[in-house]
Amino acid sequence: MIGGRLAGKLSLIGCAALLSTLGVRAQAHSAAASADAEVHRGVQLVETGRCTEALALIERGLPGVRDKALRYQGQMAAMRCAMATGDEQVAADNLFLMERESPGNPDILYWETHTFSEMAQRAAQELVGKYPDSYQAQRLQAESLESQGKEEKAAAIYHTILEKHPHLAGIHYRLGQIALDEAGDSGSTDAAKEEFEKELAVDPTNASAEFILGELARRKADWPVAVRHFSRAAHLDAGFSEAYLALGMSLAAEGKYAEAKPPLEHYVKLEPDDPAGHYQLAIADARTGDQAGAQKQMALQAQAAARNHSSDTTQGHAVQP
Amino acid sequence: MYLPETVGAGCAFVDYDNDGWMDIYLVNSGPCDFYRPSTPLRNALYRNNRDGTFTDVTEKAGVQGNAYGMGVAVGDYDGDGLPDLYVTQYPHSILYHNNGDGTFTDVTAKAGMAAAGWGTSAVWFDYDNDGRLDLFVCRMADFDKEKNVWCGGQGPGQRYYCKPNVYKPMPNWLFHNNGDGTFTDVSRESGIAASLNKAWGVVAADLNNDGRMDLFVGSDTAPNPLFINQGGGRFIDNGLLAGVGYNSFGVARSGMGVDSADYDQDGWMDLFVANVDHEVYSLYHNNRNGTFNDVSMRTPIGLTTLMMSGWGLKFFDFNNDGYIDLVIANGHPDLTIHKHHPDLHYYEPMLLFEQNGGVWKNVSEQAGPAFAQHIAGRGLALGDFDNDGAVDILVSTNNGAPLLLRNLAGGQNHWLGLRLVGTKSNIDAVGAKVSWQSGSLKRHLSKVGGGSYLSSHDPRMVLGLGPNRHVDWIEIQWPAPSGGTQRFTNPPVDRYITVVEGQTSWK
Repeated sequence: MIGGRLAGKLSLIGCAALLSTLGVRAQAHSAAASADAEVHRGVQLVETGRCTEALALIERGLPGVRDKALRYQGQMAAMRCAMATGDEQVAADNLFLMERESPGNPDILYWETHTFSEMAQRAAQELVGKYPDSYQAQRLQAESLESQGKEEKAAAIYHTILEKHPHLAGIHYRLGQIALDEAGDSGSTDAAKEEFEKELAVDPTNASAEFILGELARRKADWPVAVRHFSRAAHLDAGFSEAYLALGMSLAAEGKYAEAKPPLEHYVKLEPDDPAGHYQLAIADARTGDQAGAQKQMALQAQAAARNHSSDTTQGHAVQP
Repeated sequence: MYLPETVGAGCAFVDYDNDGWMDIYLVNSGPCDFYRPSTPLRNALYRNNRDGTFTDVTEKAGVQGNAYGMGVAVGDYDGDGLPDLYVTQYPHSILYHNNGDGTFTDVTAKAGMAAAGWGTSAVWFDYDNDGRLDLFVCRMADFDKEKNVWCGGQGPGQRYYCKPNVYKPMPNWLFHNNGDGTFTDVSRESGIAASLNKAWGVVAADLNNDGRMDLFVGSDTAPNPLFINQGGGRFIDNGLLAGVGYNSFGVARSGMGVDSADYDQDGWMDLFVANVDHEVYSLYHNNRNGTFNDVSMRTPIGLTTLMMSGWGLKFFDFNNDGYIDLVIANGHPDLTIHKHHPDLHYYEPMLLFEQNGGVWKNVSEQAGPAFAQHIAGRGLALGDFDNDGAVDILVSTNNGAPLLLRNLAGGQNHWLGLRLVGTKSNIDAVGAKVSWQSGSLKRHLSKVGGGSYLSSHDPRMVLGLGPNRHVDWIEIQWPAPSGGTQRFTNPPVDRYITVVEGQTSWK
């Protein structure tokens, strides 16, 4: 009997649970339908240019939309509307959301390019409009000139900035880059070197400046100086993989193969697909008596080189149609 | 456009008539599947008239070539005292036997040395120390008319010569001299064929002082092989771990002409290989343990060659001061390079680097107008065509006349010229090592096989004595199988002498 009553109760409980579940589902279904409708309506409004109303509907409805295509439509509409109404935060949020949900989608990448470029343009206009004499506005102008290849004019502006702000980080670095460009492949790099050194005097944490100074020393086979700079670059920025490779290469060039191994080992962990690291490590292994290690690294080098098989595009050589 | 068009051709100094005066052989581009010249083209042999002029004797000699010529290697393979010619070509090469009467016979078929494919540089050397000259032949990529690749744009003037990385690498050839006028292709069993390259230049030298001749090969967009002779007819390519295969980033460069010499006189042979623009030519110092370090950036050679493309080259003591110098012929391989890269030029000047006790100096600007001339330099051969002890330079150019540069600097110092004739060892004495003392100057020089690019050199050695007017002694260490040493005291200076292995006096 007890069993019979219990079974009846359980049955009642079961019925209640079933009803409850059905009720929740019905509510959920109704909510989802409502969200879909809101987003649909929002998308339609966007098409007629009624962005403010549309955004409110889409923002409210989107969290409840499960249909992928509709979500995408809603997010895209919201992003475009937000840009039209100057709501950059909403535009960026929707873009990032879309990218996360559809990574690599060329349409999203295209809109991302446009959106952020437009944002950059607006910010630049605001900067120049509101603070035309600020060093930030001048720096922006100089960088723009640099990108157009007008390096001489850019350098003049950088020098103007330095007159008022001699300790501003990053300006000597830009001047150094301009001097490097002027030097070309075979010109003197003394002027560039001087600028990078000045940059480090202003900002001792600039790993890139340290790296370039190391590279300039490496080109002149001044290994101790190269090692000093590359060590600092790696120390300043632990993720600066090239600094580890360059440090290892310079130590190896000095004949310090045992010392070269740790940075090279670190580099191949960071950049396993670069044949250079494996090759340098193979040489260091071989010259410190580790023939097995050398053979292993040489095999890895060959694999990486095969993966990175370069096309015929370097240095003015031919490109296959 | 076919790649062989832009890479040739070679040249040689050869005393084909044994009169003691260097004659000249020039290789040309004959007919092949991709080229039908409108007027007949042939190679050329010029006899030295001993007065600074030459006479074309090609027709009589019968050494015109019969395909698209590339290079030439001179060696007396049958030991009859007469230099023979191996002419590399696309799509097959030729062995010309010197008949001793001013004529040659094509003995390729009998000798079994056609080497079907695209042959480039070749070198005669005795790899198995049996006293006979064997032949190594560089093979460029897997190429024929059907495999030709279109590089560049399709519009007018947009096409250019492909960088060789669009072609597959191939094994080189090694031919063993059977001693009866025939050769056996031992490429596979020797281990040479195990290495796939796109080979341009080759030099044979004993790089680890074990008495066996090794090979260093310049390979284009594929690792430079360093074939270390293991003995027993076997080679192992140790180029990668020796540090000469790749650049420091583990990437193959465009290895072109090569050479070897002990430039710093430490008793170990060093290496040189030219590359193309943005790659820097490599001067490899021998670490005495089977490895090499590229030291070119510690010398002016590094930065000077950063934007240049090198081909024929040779270590030699141009001013007879007792220090080994270096000459390089240059020129970009792509005729249209200036359109894509305004800093680069198809025509480039030659380079001359003087060495003085380990310090290198670019003396090209002081070397005369020839070094200011911009040329499409390719082959480069050394030889003393006027027998004045100052080693002269012959340079072949692409689609142009060759240059014969008379050396006016060698006469500043004293010298001794040596013609070595092996009897037990190979007759050309390839691999011999000569040491000498002249006052406080003590030097040694090894006779390498080949070197440069598609070219062959005066077999005589010129020992620079500096200002010293006498030689205290010379010592000749003959290559295996004899390996014997002969010492001569107070030989004459400022003239050539002949030393025959085993004979107690020079001639």
